[in-house]
Amino acid sequence: MTLSKILLVEDDVDIQKVVRMSLKLRGVKEILVAEDGEECLAVVGGLKPDVILLDVMMPKLDGYETCRRLKANPETRDIPVIFLTAKAQQFEIKRGLEEGACGYLLKPFDPMTLHDQIVQLLNQRSGGPKKA
Amino acid sequence: MTTVKDGLEKYLLDSLPSGALAVDRENRILFVNRALARVVRLRAEEWEGRPLEEFLRVLDDRFECPPTLALRLEWDPRDRSTRSREMEFREKDGGRVYCVREDSRPLRDAEGRVLGRLFVYHDMRREREIDRMKSEFIAVASHELRTPMTSIKGSVDLILSGYAGDISTDTQELLEIAQKNCDRLIRLINDILDLAKIEAGQIKLKLEPLDLTDAIERSLLGVRSLADQNEIRLTLYRPPELPLVEVDRDRIEQVVTNLLSNAIKFSPAKGEVRVELAVADGCVQCCVADQGCGIPEDQLSNVFGKFQQVANSKAKGGTGLGLAIVQALVNEHRGKIWVESRLNVGTRFIFRLPASSSGPSSS
Repeated sequence: MTLSKILLVEDDVDIQKVVRMSLKLRGVKEILVAEDGEECLAVVGGLKPDVILLDVMMPKLDGYETCRRLKANPETRDIPVIFLTAKAQQFEIKRGLEEGACGYLLKPFDPMTLHDQIVQLLNQRSGGPKKA
Repeated sequence: MTTVKDGLEKYLLDSLPSGALAVDRENRILFVNRALARVVRLRAEEWEGRPLEEFLRVLDDRFECPPTLALRLEWDPRDRSTRSREMEFREKDGGRVYCVREDSRPLRDAEGRVLGRLFVYHDMRREREIDRMKSEFIAVASHELRTPMTSIKGSVDLILSGYAGDISTDTQELLEIAQKNCDRLIRLINDILDLAKIEAGQIKLKLEPLDLTDAIERSLLGVRSLADQNEIRLTLYRPPELPLVEVDRDRIEQVVTNLLSNAIKFSPAKGEVRVELAVADGCVQCCVADQGCGIPEDQLSNVFGKFQQVANSKAKGGTGLGLAIVQALVNEHRGKIWVESRLNVGTRFIFRLPASSSGPSSS
């Protein structure tokens, strides 16, 4: 699977850079960034990303609520959402998946395998890797 | 019937912040102290000598009482144990909820004869509040420590991957030191939070009947490459029949993996780490034995303490919390763990878990 457009929703500028570089290294062409949940909801309709990487703890609108609203909107409900967060407790992971995300990745992540982990989660969601 | 006179005993009982009630062997009330009478809205002195059922009826009229209330259950005068249980009472009219710990134990005279049973009710609101604050701290600490580590580790990993261009050998060496210590700090954060969660009673064990051999074989598989790197032979001995144990598979694997990793790290090259399963005292016993340098006797009692590392163990990359977590997890399973060691011969970590009633498993 080739990812060409990813929307990263993350308020920490340093982590934005690390994610951007990590994915660029693996050939992702467009990595767009929203600083918080509100900005994500405002821009996502026009962007149509392959996947949304969503932090949880953000100003204005947190990741759980953002995910819930994305899944409640017919225009955005089919865009896969993967949490990328430091909220590492079992009940937090459970909540993220209950809000409709297809995966949950923990910080700190390995920048060398982040892309592969995203692809793996998307493949699981679609029932296995597609043959070319 | 023994009664509580209007002397020092009565003042002591009435001064207790916790509620207290005692019954004699015929279940007649010996006393109700003021703290309990205040909550139930009764006059304490009216209850001396009256049957306990009357008190229970008043209690049921006022509160939604939990069925597990020991006061309601029949008790055996030969029962010498102290029983504790946490429960909630909800007032039927006001809806106020009392979080209470009920302790019940035999009431004895000076010669040790059982006169009746004593029930004490402690207000647990403060403890519940502390638990809530602990949970909040764990959640916040987890997030706040992981976030900066993400940036540091990510940046170092990317530079080492060559993303930002070629780097000199010295730079690479220095960055590898930073990377190694980032990983160590992450392990430490994970261990601190894991232990905090266990100690706060926040882990929920998913208990299932299990042949301990399954968990051990999976753990052995997990540490195989570490053993190969250190040229250590791993062996497992299991009796032909082994009772099942009621455990959380992942957590027991965590226990065994931790013990095995330690044993491998402290064994000399070409040594053996041996896992022995046995049945002992209605328990399944697991012993992880190494042929390492052993633990000095004066340090044996500290090995399960937090940040208690025996000489040279820091150089092995431990966080100092692994064995504290192991002990806490074994305790959570109502098991016990101990260590035996001889200098220059080796160390044996042994834990026992109660055998399940689900029947034995044959190899």
